[in-house]
Amino acid sequence: MRKLAFILIAAVMCLCSCSGRKVQDLSGVNCVEDLRGHSVAVAMGGSYDLMLSDVGGVDIVRLGLGELLVAVEKGRAEFCIMDQYQAVMLNLESRGLEIKFKNILKGTAGAGFRKEDSLLCIQFNDYLRNIMESGEYDRWLDEWKQAPDSMAYASWSVPGHDKEPGRRALHVGITINYPYLFLKDNRLTGIEVDLFNRFCLQAGYAVDYEIYDFSALIPALNSGKIDVILSHMRRTEERAKQILFSDAYIEGGGAAVCRSAQGKAPGVRAGFMDRMKESFRNNLVEEQRWKLMTDGLWVTIRISVLSILAAVMAGVVLCRLRMSRRRIVSTPTGVVIDLLRGIPLLVILMLMFYVVFASSRITGTWVTVMSFGLYYGAYFGEVFRTGMESVDKGQWEAGFALGMGRFLVFRKIALPQALSRIIPVLKGEVIALIKMTSVVGYVAVVDLTKASDIIRARTLDAFFPLILVSMVYILLAWLTGLGLEAMERQLTSKSRRL
Amino acid sequence: MIKVRNLKKEFRTPTGESLTVLKDINCDIQKGEVISIIGPSGTGKSTLLRCLNRLEEPTSGVIEVDGTDILDRRTDINLIRRRMGMVFQNFNLFEHLTILDNLTMCPMLLLGKSREEAQKRGMELLDTVGLHDKAGCLPAELSGGQKQRAAIARCLAMEPEIILFDEPTSALDPTMVSEVLAVIRHLANLGMTMCIVSHEMQFVRDVSTRILFLNEGIVYEEGTPEQIFENPQKPATRAFINRIRTFESVFENRHFDLYGLFGKIHTFCNKYGLGTKILEKVQHITEEMLCGIMPFCGPVRLTIEYSEKTSGISMSFYQENATSTILDNTGEDSLSLMMVKGMSSLVTEPNPGTVCVEI
Repeated sequence: MRKLAFILIAAVMCLCSCSGRKVQDLSGVNCVEDLRGHSVAVAMGGSYDLMLSDVGGVDIVRLGLGELLVAVEKGRAEFCIMDQYQAVMLNLESRGLEIKFKNILKGTAGAGFRKEDSLLCIQFNDYLRNIMESGEYDRWLDEWKQAPDSMAYASWSVPGHDKEPGRRALHVGITINYPYLFLKDNRLTGIEVDLFNRFCLQAGYAVDYEIYDFSALIPALNSGKIDVILSHMRRTEERAKQILFSDAYIEGGGAAVCRSAQGKAPGVRAGFMDRMKESFRNNLVEEQRWKLMTDGLWVTIRISVLSILAAVMAGVVLCRLRMSRRRIVSTPTGVVIDLLRGIPLLVILMLMFYVVFASSRITGTWVTVMSFGLYYGAYFGEVFRTGMESVDKGQWEAGFALGMGRFLVFRKIALPQALSRIIPVLKGEVIALIKMTSVVGYVAVVDLTKASDIIRARTLDAFFPLILVSMVYILLAWLTGLGLEAMERQLTSKSRRL
Repeated sequence: MIKVRNLKKEFRTPTGESLTVLKDINCDIQKGEVISIIGPSGTGKSTLLRCLNRLEEPTSGVIEVDGTDILDRRTDINLIRRRMGMVFQNFNLFEHLTILDNLTMCPMLLLGKSREEAQKRGMELLDTVGLHDKAGCLPAELSGGQKQRAAIARCLAMEPEIILFDEPTSALDPTMVSEVLAVIRHLANLGMTMCIVSHEMQFVRDVSTRILFLNEGIVYEEGTPEQIFENPQKPATRAFINRIRTFESVFENRHFDLYGLFGKIHTFCNKYGLGTKILEKVQHITEEMLCGIMPFCGPVRLTIEYSEKTSGISMSFYQENATSTILDNTGEDSLSLMMVKGMSSLVTEPNPGTVCVEI
């Protein structure tokens, strides 16, 4: 048995290292058409994704923005296509990567508005035209290209994004995309952010930025969750059918990045501990990124606690209805429970966010709590029901025969007995719930997982943030388990003392 | 103390049919009485008992406790139940509480006793039922007999005026029956009013002041233990008391299936553990009577009764449309009759056309 496990592990390690060390001659690849037959990583739902689908014959690896470079580094894809400006600014040589060719799908990016909201769009276009005609725009953009760091600091001195009474607050959906939209010292900045802040200052709007998945931006805009898409979005015809684009404010094109023929620069291949230290510094210490993680952790904990409370309440109600002696109540409840358990949680979450509460300004956190409450309420309810049904009918009768009322028998006899059977089962469900909160990034909530996504999008390092996040989840699950076990012990010892 | 009039209870089966368990029950229980309810299984003895404290909702009728109609919606049944203890077949001790807590919880919650008071009384009662050492145990750690004794003590902790026993020894090992019966007997000696459903006939006979025999949904016969056990008035009571098992068969004419009948008799005798000798005797007598003696001027009915109590077997052969006595017309020299008389202890003909053979 142990031998078998050893062989398995060895095989997996072999596979990993093989796929990582594969070196192919890529010198003949010089344009998009040449990518046929190669694996290419692109951002899911982005314009390069659509373009490669049209080219055909390309093995497309769809990932988040933050994973593109890592995928090439680790050999999961031979190429990745990313913004060429971004590619130039990143220190690709030190990672053993190089730009193979540029100017892919040259185009322009603009802000997106709802079609009904053309007034806002016109206002923005007017502002753009003004600064472009006065030459202010070119100076500003040059400064950004020369010294993004100092511009990032400078961008915060632009007032206007604070909420004040009487101002319309614009909800702006963004994705992290260096250097257009990124976090510097845990504060949002970037070329597009700076531009939009300046516009809002002039036009008298307050701004509220919300981080979304790129593919979720257009649905969020059309369902009214956000008013503006500001996400370095290419102005394509496809998208123009669904949303209203502003005039172009930035030109761009893609760069195809692959591993350089020379391999990594000497000195980079440091020892494991050194690399870990470097990762630690990069992902947590630098720019105080650990704050992002701790904020995310608090969000995860808050969402978990609220969801557990909601699920317990929903569970109690569903259990009560399900156990009703009246068929007309219990049967529909059973159907509802089956429905809730039959739909994947992520789908329920999206349905609630983009359909049920589409037009309301309710935040993703509360939608999450409601969705989790309903979904896990169905599971909890069934756990409660089996717990209650496991209490022998004779226990109730004995209580009645002694002269106790229904509620008293429930509280003093049935509930304590049921709880001691419910809690061990519930433990698993609660831990599952906590881990499941990692999907809330889909509805613009920055939890622990999403925080690590944001860090990865900036540092382009997959290993360290993911391992760290896993460890935090393990810790959370372990502590929850301990807590529930203590509760169970408390209950059984209490029952012996009455 | 308790008055029951025209009590009726119907159950609705899952298929929607209604099943009448209690048709028309009338009885009275006076203070200090020990009433036992006996009867064949399925006659609703437990149902009657559970109607008395409304664990079952009667279909119609009147139950009065000290003049209060407990079936009235305005009556607080919980107050009545506090005065009526109940001991269950399956003990139903609260599994999550220690034995002492089982005894003290309800007096503290419902009678407003302090913890010290309730615990003091609880320990006294545990002493009475011999479970002083088990006060801190959980019910799961006790044997069946101990559990039932603890359950009786739990009842007593509420200081009830009457205790209802619902087959208190049916779920027990035979070795543990006597310890529980001893406790109940002790209570009877103390003058506790009790109503007992039980299959322990000897115990019921010793302990009861009055016995109700329930059959076919009514109080079929009632009386003192002597009346019911020594001299039951009605056939069903007698059959139950003597634990009589019967076999019946009707034959239209002489050309019946004799060997098929032998097979059925064999099965009957096997079922009640009768030996081969008795079986052969019964088969021979049946053959001689049916093939040699009965005139078959109409259908003939054969009844075999076996009393488990006395181990006696009596067979009766009933000739329908009999014109005259059968034995007299057979003649003393009939070979068949001589053989029947040889195998039996007594052959009589109480009524013309009915021949009784005792083995």
